[in-house]
This record gives sequence, structure tokens and C-alpha cells, in this order.
Amino acid sequence: MVSRPWILLIAITFTGLFFSCKKTQNEATVEKPTPYTIQVPRYFPNEMNIPSDNPMTVEGIALGRYLFYDGRISGRTHPDSMMSCASCHIQSHAFVCGIDNPNYPGGHPHGVTGIPTPDYMLSLCNLVWNQTGYLWNGSVYKNNPNTSKRNIEDLVWMGIVAPHEMHSDTLRAKALIQSVKGYPELFKKAFGSDRVTVKNMGRAIAQFVRTLISSDSRFDRYLNGELQLTPSEMDGFVLFVTEQGADCFHCHGGDGNPLFTTNLFYNNGKDSAFTANTHDRYYVTGNASDIGAYKAPSLRNIGFIAPYMHDGRFKTLDEVIDFYSSGLVWSPYISPLMHHISTHGVRLTPSEKADLKAFLLSLNDSSFITNPAFSKPVKFPDEP
Amino acid sequence: MKKNSQTHYEIQRPASNVLRLTFHFLIFLLLPSFLLLSSCQKTEKPTVVYPSPDTVTICFEHTVSGNPMITDSLIYTTSLGYHYMVNDLQYFISDLAFHYTNGNEIFVTDNDSIHYTDIGIPTSLKWNIIKSHLRTGYCDSVSFIFGLSEKKNRSKRFLNPPERDMFWPEFLGGGYHYMKLNLKYKSDTMMMLMPFMFHMGIGQIYNGTSTNADSITGYVQNYFKVRLPLSGFKFEEGKKKTLTIRMNIEKWFDGTETFDFSKYAMGIMQNEEGMSKAARNGENVFSIQ
Repeated sequence: MVSRPWILLIAITFTGLFFSCKKTQNEATVEKPTPYTIQVPRYFPNEMNIPSDNPMTVEGIALGRYLFYDGRISGRTHPDSMMSCASCHIQSHAFVCGIDNPNYPGGHPHGVTGIPTPDYMLSLCNLVWNQTGYLWNGSVYKNNPNTSKRNIEDLVWMGIVAPHEMHSDTLRAKALIQSVKGYPELFKKAFGSDRVTVKNMGRAIAQFVRTLISSDSRFDRYLNGELQLTPSEMDGFVLFVTEQGADCFHCHGGDGNPLFTTNLFYNNGKDSAFTANTHDRYYVTGNASDIGAYKAPSLRNIGFIAPYMHDGRFKTLDEVIDFYSSGLVWSPYISPLMHHISTHGVRLTPSEKADLKAFLLSLNDSSFITNPAFSKPVKFPDEP
Repeated sequence: MKKNSQTHYEIQRPASNVLRLTFHFLIFLLLPSFLLLSSCQKTEKPTVVYPSPDTVTICFEHTVSGNPMITDSLIYTTSLGYHYMVNDLQYFISDLAFHYTNGNEIFVTDNDSIHYTDIGIPTSLKWNIIKSHLRTGYCDSVSFIFGLSEKKNRSKRFLNPPERDMFWPEFLGGGYHYMKLNLKYKSDTMMMLMPFMFHMGIGQIYNGTSTNADSITGYVQNYFKVRLPLSGFKFEEGKKKTLTIRMNIEKWFDGTETFDFSKYAMGIMQNEEGMSKAARNGENVFSIQ
């Protein structure tokens, strides 16, 4: 027969072991969102710009998609004054408004009161790999001393209050979303609380935007060995990546950088004189060498995102190619990478221009602009 | 006997109880503690420890005529009379090795022995080397490859910026730029400051005067080995060491060869004659402290 002390010993030991491993009651009952892992396309960077305080989750992305398309985040319900991210960021145009948009003539968006945006639009494509800063001058960046302007999350509140965008206020925006049936539950699932905050609105939309990945162009398939480019596309590719050709690759990437941007900032020789402004890179860095410098945008989906340049001065891709061929103008601030400045450009023949254009159009990704996961939800949370 | 035996038993009983209680007490206290502690304890494998210095840091400095390089300022002049400013400088060194006076040669293996330096990224100006790679003793020199050897210069080995942005197009030989030295220059007779891309990497041999990719008949590896002498340099156990590798920028243009900017079309990436000239000068560009 086992003596009482031995029974006590066994009981104490196993009780101790049991409690040393058991989770607390609170931990066990909190419903955690489902982690979401971005599938990194072949040759894409494996380092992503995802803040540690906003990990990607299935629930966060789903909520972000609703909010991205819901005009009520502007804090208004009247159809004439509602505005969402998708009012201007239109999927069929790789999330710019498009040059043929009847609401925004020439592809220049304006806010709810008609005030035009300071710059033309940048595509929302592969932003999760942007490590250098958002907007044309990179003024929203990771280590910004202004902690409220550091990442995609912050672009949401900035869009809500900007006079040239939603021209609203954050209190109205969050109060209205809080009142919409279904949203509080979605916030709870995504962030653990049904209280709607602008911070969590920003976090959700940022998560959705980080899923907007374009990696299925003809060129991607060529890189993956799935198809051969046409002779014209191939000749254009050679021009694109050769210094004595069109030399696009130093700023816009290529076979070694399939994002087709370095996400860096260059004065590309559009102008010879500059006035102080808040748009260019100089505004951010204060370095004279950054006067007139803007982000080299990704050339992915270039056929869908006209007009071109930060000020939309070129309406067509042909105009852009003509500019780089013979339209460059010198200034003391021109990037040293614009080494063909002495001849005002790379001097392409008509045939070479056609080849370069053919290659550029091989960067269009039709599956990106039709992907149902990126499109407007069939119904909003309060719709039956 | 029985009584005695019983008596004896009775006499021994208290002592036996004390022992049993002590035994139980120890078991109660020690066994659960042992189980709880041992359930969390990691196993440790024995490791062989060689005497090694504490940390070794390689610093990278960039000078012009002995003074720290100042960027974006037109204050430098080559022997041919070109005034120039440096805008950007990025480069790789690889296969760093320490040569000991006893004949040993130890290659640094951190990051596959590749280091990227960018004057715009302060953290890249230091290379902290894992101490376990090195041994104590006297070194008489340090050597490295400027750029990347054929073995290491594989396309798409770097997927993330900033190293990724050094890629060298496949059509031109593939891999990565060894160096991007972006500058602007002018002579006294030139009206404007002109960009020049002093970029180095794999060179191409073209058929005739064309620089079309279709005309390429061969490639040239332009990387080169640099060996810098050390005097009285000793790695001591547990001590920190710092070495400074200095790139003397002006020697790219004035060395074994005199570099004439106006001779090239604002860049040398597709001009092997220019790149090989740069490589010859490059062998004397570095010094060490």
C-alpha cells in the first residue's frame, strides 16, 4: 500500500508541472486574429516594410478592404460628399485615378471640395517593399521625427483631413464607422476591441494595401522562364538595361530588381529652374543636391497609370520616351545618373523607341488590375 | 532474546523515524524542484574555444588628397585639370583575409565575406567581424578583393536593397557593380558641369565599335586583389581591434593611368578600356591604418 506522504509528493509534483505549463485564463479566452503571411514572389525582396505593431492578419486585411472602398470613412453619408480611398485609387488603373476618369480630368485628382492634389498619383503597387518613404518626396518614412507620418497607416488619417482629399475630421470619421452595423465586430476580430479608432482604421487599410502585389506581368513570366518576350520587347529590354542604350535601369531596376524602382529620388532633368516648394525631396532632406528630385516610380503597370511624372506633364508613354530621348534639360541639380544630358537625352531612333515602349508595356499586369481580392467587396458589413 | 530483540527494536525506532522523515523531506523538496527545473533546462554541447580577439571592426574612410571627402562640392581637381565633385559612392569588397606572420591565412566568413559600403549609409562604414573567425597572433598584412570574384558574383544573390540596387545587367555580364562612383566634372573650357558614372563591374568585349549587346563576344573580370601591409599588428586574446581601410579617391583618376573624363561617353560601364584603366589605378587606391 502506498503511504500518504508518497501520495502527497506525487500530487504536489504533478500539480506543479501542470501549472507551470498552463496558460492563464485570460490568455486562453482572448480571440486572436489569424496571422497572414505574404507570399513573396520569386526574386522579390524578402525584407518587407511591415511595422511590428501592425502585423498582417486575415481579419485586419478583410476590414481594411471594406474601409478602403467605403465612402463613410470620410465621415459623411450624402452620396455627393462621401469619399473613400477607392474614389481615386481605382483598381483598373493600378490604383491611380486614370487619365480617362471623367471625375478627374487629365488624371489629376481633387478633393471633395474640388481642391486639386498637390501632385499627381502614385500607384498602390508593391508598397510593402518600399523602405525609403512614401509619396513623391518620401516625406512619410520610417524614422521620421514626426511620429505621425511614418508609414502607410499614417497616410489614412492624412487623407481623411487633407483639404485636397476627404476634407473631413477624424472624430466624424470614426464616429460614423462606429455606428455602422457590422464594423465594431470586424474591429474586434481584427484588433481585439469593438471600439473604432482612427489608428485601427489606418492599420486595417495599411494591411490591405500591403497585399496589393503585382508580380504577374509578361516580363515576370519571362524571368520565370514561362514565356519568351517578342523580339521587339527583347530589344527594348536590352535598351532598358544598358548604359549606352536607354539606361533606365539605374533608377528603375530590371532583371536584378523586379520592383522596377529603387524607391530612391532623382532630379531627372525635367526643369532647369526651381522654386521653393513642399513637393520635392529637398523639402525632406534640406540637401541642395535633392532640389527638383522626386521618387523614381515603379514602372510596373505603366500602361495603366498615365499621366506621368509628379506633375502629370506627360499624357502618354510616347511623350515620356521622347523626353528621355531628347528632352532633358540641364541644371546644377540634375542627377549624376542622367549622364546623357550633354545630348539632351539618350537619342533613340524611332525603331528603338518602339522597342522600348513594347518592353515597358510588358510590365503591365492584367491580373493585378482584375484580382478579385483587391476589388470592391460585394457588400459592406451593414448590407444584408 | 525475543525481549532483548524487541527492546533493541524499540530502541532503534526513533532514529529510524528521523531518517525517514529527513528522507521524505528531501524528496518532497528536491524532486519537484529538480523536475521543474530540468523541464526547462537546455542541453549544452561542448564547444572548442580557441583564443581569439574580442571584437574586430573594419572602418571605411574616403579621402581626397589626404582629407576627408566632402560630397556635392566642386572642390577637387585631377592632374589633367578636370574639376570634379563626388555625389555618390557605393562599392563591394570581398574575401577579406588576415595574413599571420606564422604563415597562416584566415578568411573572414561573415556575410560570405562580402561587405557593401555606401557613403550615404553610416552603418555600412563599419564592418564588425565575428571574433571566433580569427585567432590571436601577429599579422603582417590584410587582403581583399575589390568587387566580387566570379565565384561570388552571382546574379540575384542580393534580393534586398541597398545591395540589390548594385545589380549589373545580365546582358553586360551579370552579377553586381563592383563600384558606383557618381560624380560631376568640368574643365576650364566647359560651360556646364557634366555627370560621369565611374561604374565598375564585368567588362564586355565588343565586335567592332558597336556597344550593342548583340555585338558582345566575351566578358572580362575586372575585380582585383588588394594586399595592404600591417606593421606590428597583433590580435590579442580578449582585446578589441580596429582597422581603417581608406579609399584615396583621387588615385582612381591619377595613378598608374591618368583618367581623361572627356574620352568616355559620360560612363565606362560599356567601355572595357576605361574600366581596365580604372582597375589598374584601383590597385593603389587603398591604404590601411
